[in-house]
Amino acid sequence: MKVTVERAHLLKSLNHVHRVVERRNTIPILSNVLLRAEGGELKLKATDLDLEVSEAIPAMVAEPGATTVPAHMIYDIVRKLQDGAQIELATRNDGATLDLKAGRSKFALQMLPETDFPDLTAGTFGHRFSLSAADLKRLVDRTQFAISTEETRYYLNGIYFHTVEAGGELRFRAVATDGHRLAQAEMVAPHGSEGMPGIIVPRKTVGEIQKLVEDPEAKVGVEVSDSKIRLTFAAAGEGATGAVVLTSKLIDGTFPEYGRVIPQGNDKELKVDRDEFAAAVDRVSTISSERGRAVKLTVGDGRLVLTVVNPDSGSATEELAVEYESDPLDIGFNSRYLLDIAGQLETDTAVFRLADPGSPTLIHDFGQSNALYVLMPMRV
Amino acid sequence: MSSAPSVVRQLSDDTINRIAAGEVIERPASVVKELVENAVDAGAGRVEIVTAGGGKTLIRVTDDGSGMSRDDLALAVERHCTSKLRADDLLDIHTLGFRGEALPSIGAVSRLAIATRHASEPHGWEITLEGGLKGEPRPAGLARGTRVEVRDLFFSTPARLKFLKTERAEAAAITEVVKRLALARPDVRFSLSGADRSALDLPVARGADARLVRIAQVVGADFPDNAVPIDAAREGVELVGYAGLPTYHRAASTWQFLMVNGRPVRDRQLFGALRGAYQDLMRADRHPVVVLDIRLDPHEVDVNVHPTKADVRFREQGLVRGLVVGAIREAMARAGHRASTTVGAATLAAFRTGLGPGLGPDAAPPAGHHQAATTPRGFGRPESPGAAAGRSPSSYGRDPLRPSGGVPREAWDWRVSPFRPDPMDRAQDPADGDPGQSGIDPIPDEPQGDAPLSGFGEAMQAGFAPGFGVSADIRAADPAQDAERAARPLGAARAQLHENYIVSQTRDGFILVDAHAAHERLTYERLKRQRAEAGIPRQMLLVPEIVELPEEDAGRLAAHAGALAEAGLVLEPFGPVAIAVRETPALFKRLDIAGLVRDIADDLADRDASSRLDERINHILSTMACHGSVRTGRRLRPEEMDALLREMEATPNSGQCNHGRPTWVELKLTDIERLFGRS
Repeated sequence: MKVTVERAHLLKSLNHVHRVVERRNTIPILSNVLLRAEGGELKLKATDLDLEVSEAIPAMVAEPGATTVPAHMIYDIVRKLQDGAQIELATRNDGATLDLKAGRSKFALQMLPETDFPDLTAGTFGHRFSLSAADLKRLVDRTQFAISTEETRYYLNGIYFHTVEAGGELRFRAVATDGHRLAQAEMVAPHGSEGMPGIIVPRKTVGEIQKLVEDPEAKVGVEVSDSKIRLTFAAAGEGATGAVVLTSKLIDGTFPEYGRVIPQGNDKELKVDRDEFAAAVDRVSTISSERGRAVKLTVGDGRLVLTVVNPDSGSATEELAVEYESDPLDIGFNSRYLLDIAGQLETDTAVFRLADPGSPTLIHDFGQSNALYVLMPMRV
Repeated sequence: MSSAPSVVRQLSDDTINRIAAGEVIERPASVVKELVENAVDAGAGRVEIVTAGGGKTLIRVTDDGSGMSRDDLALAVERHCTSKLRADDLLDIHTLGFRGEALPSIGAVSRLAIATRHASEPHGWEITLEGGLKGEPRPAGLARGTRVEVRDLFFSTPARLKFLKTERAEAAAITEVVKRLALARPDVRFSLSGADRSALDLPVARGADARLVRIAQVVGADFPDNAVPIDAAREGVELVGYAGLPTYHRAASTWQFLMVNGRPVRDRQLFGALRGAYQDLMRADRHPVVVLDIRLDPHEVDVNVHPTKADVRFREQGLVRGLVVGAIREAMARAGHRASTTVGAATLAAFRTGLGPGLGPDAAPPAGHHQAATTPRGFGRPESPGAAAGRSPSSYGRDPLRPSGGVPREAWDWRVSPFRPDPMDRAQDPADGDPGQSGIDPIPDEPQGDAPLSGFGEAMQAGFAPGFGVSADIRAADPAQDAERAARPLGAARAQLHENYIVSQTRDGFILVDAHAAHERLTYERLKRQRAEAGIPRQMLLVPEIVELPEEDAGRLAAHAGALAEAGLVLEPFGPVAIAVRETPALFKRLDIAGLVRDIADDLADRDASSRLDERINHILSTMACHGSVRTGRRLRPEEMDALLREMEATPNSGQCNHGRPTWVELKLTDIERLFGRS
């Protein structure tokens, strides 16, 4: 293999794929990135066996071929090379070394044979549809914070995507929960998503999706099978030739019947300015020094009082003007959770629907219902 | 039908005895236990035990008890014959034995000879039993009392013989049994001897503190200094004895001597209670040393659970556990900042020599002792060199405390002292045996094994340029106040060394304080106090977590739901074979609820109580405490040091860090004088 590429192209592409590679691997080839030169382009691919990202960049191919080299190392090298440099990649005849040349810099990298490189793309994807990158990013962003990290309940370690009939139309919905709170975001189902199975996309894949969305105007192609999802991020911006393709295994499990925990009868409606509320929660929780810090909400008669008591250091209270016309109520929440949710709300006014101090609370934007959050109170 | 040959038949007495023997007589130590119990039950004032071949060849137990008449002797070796049970009431047991199984069982598997003389008889009688075959009583000459001789144990059951451990191990097990029995009866003299062992002689202890004297004889001369008396009672149950300080710990639970009405027991539930009592005072892999007797109405306890009577069942299990945990915790809190004296002794050893005096043959750790004898400054090693030297008479000849001693390697020598000029070459000194081990842990909160052949923190010293000084210096500014401070238990702070260790002066010595460890413990105790006052915040779950369990486990969990809720875990029955968890402690970031619940269920099945939740919460608190504490490397101002010492004096459990290591050590003036050979 002998190929010349522009540093900018190679850097951008390595930046996309190298993140997938784990820092420590028991299987050596998983530390490597696959380089394949053919037909005027260089294709890069990296995997951790659950997730694979590949991308092609324009290249001058003098001699087609393929090899693998350590991903993080080549990324660091290319990153430190001069801007605008032309990079030549050539394999030696010994089959063990890749020479990388750029200007006066020369590197010899140890290779591993590309034939050993795992391939995740096999299999047929029965459902195809596309949606805008902005929509996908919104679904992911709104729900990602609620993904559970507790590994024994592995089926909660991702976002549950599925279609559902609601309000007379088909909706494409994302849900995540960690048992303490639940986040749900949805949109009109894109054409072609009807009949797709419910899928759980793992946390790491979710993180990569968030990073790979660069151009919100672009389209993202989605393909779904029973065990995998493939996302094709159309090339965006100048100099891009190939698309970035992400293929990921899905979590093999059943997402719980989450509909039951979304309260329907909460009739005590509280409207509060989102930013004021978040800033106040943040301020009063300063007094608490430990994890699981609880903030007490006392609502009644047009005002909301936030209280945090720390037996060691003192207490804090803050009063906010709110719209509230129901019976007074005291309820405790984990302040961290309140801030997480406030950070997701899109409208300036946050709407809380409360029932009692021992029941789930519903939080959502004002006037629209594309996203909602359920939060379980704390007992203090 | 009636023509079929009968296949069910009554076993012969001989076979029955051998089966019974299998239960009662597991190993030579069980024979010793039965015979010594008999002797004690017979009112002996002196019990003499001789063994050979680890008890396999010979066990002879001689006592000066009441003895037996000829007729009693003949009957005694029959199965289920005993003098100890009145009116066949198994609930009214006042003696150690009562089942009437021991002698025939022993007789069934060995060559047994019993000689005895009752006061009413003109002379003694002797009877033999060989592999179950009983001889006729013959006249024998002996003083009042009984002598039981067991030879060739298990000769008739070769299979059992094969499974015995080495002579040494069996001999050690016998010692263990005798010690346990001796602890309960300071009024009886026990002597144990034989070619297969080092002799043990426990003279009668008299006076008000007879019990403590006996304990010192058995557990170690340094134990009384490192233990707090326990004397508590609740609803008719009494708990008396001594509990070792948390810094005085061992690697196995064999040094936990538990008795129920004077009967030595090894009961899992009681061990569990001890674990609970010392829960956050000690690392999980270390064990406290205790001698405790639980006294209660014999009707309230069933000792007839197992033929060897090691297990017991209390009618009020929860009450007994609560008493044990409560009394020890209360006593430890009272002991406050005390750390064990062995720590000081270990420190001295570190000053003294590179070769641990513990290597002396007489200081060899007793059986069942598990720490290498080559660790002169193992924290809290009860078999500390100073103590060992002090109580084994034959070690005087090579007393390492004397610089003029005959063995130069063991004398104080500045060349092997950590204070010699160049710290670096110490690691290369081949005589050090184990190079590369530093003395004092540079990071005190990392649990580490005891560093062998330690000095005084060479690793840390090596990092300093020559000419480093004290980190802080307190000259007595106000003499009056200073005198007052020096009179306090932890003295007046004088300086801080190596940016961690506080040196303080007391009236009769000086004290080194590990400032990081001490402050960590103080922070931890404060966090615990806050927790106790404020309660444990609970996060409710969106969906109750359903955990499937066996019906008994689910039932037990449901029965303990109240206590678990206090600790932050709210659960309720969910059908017969599952429980639903509704709320969990908010402190836990990630929690495997099902795993936790199953672990708690196991604890409940095992010991009828679980401290697991508390332990996990305390673990989080202790991590927080560690992060919130003064680090090594921080220079403390004089006022800060004194404040730390005063707070340590006022705070319970401040004598050890969260891992059971001491937070301070004391060197008495007398110790220091001995270092210089001025004693």
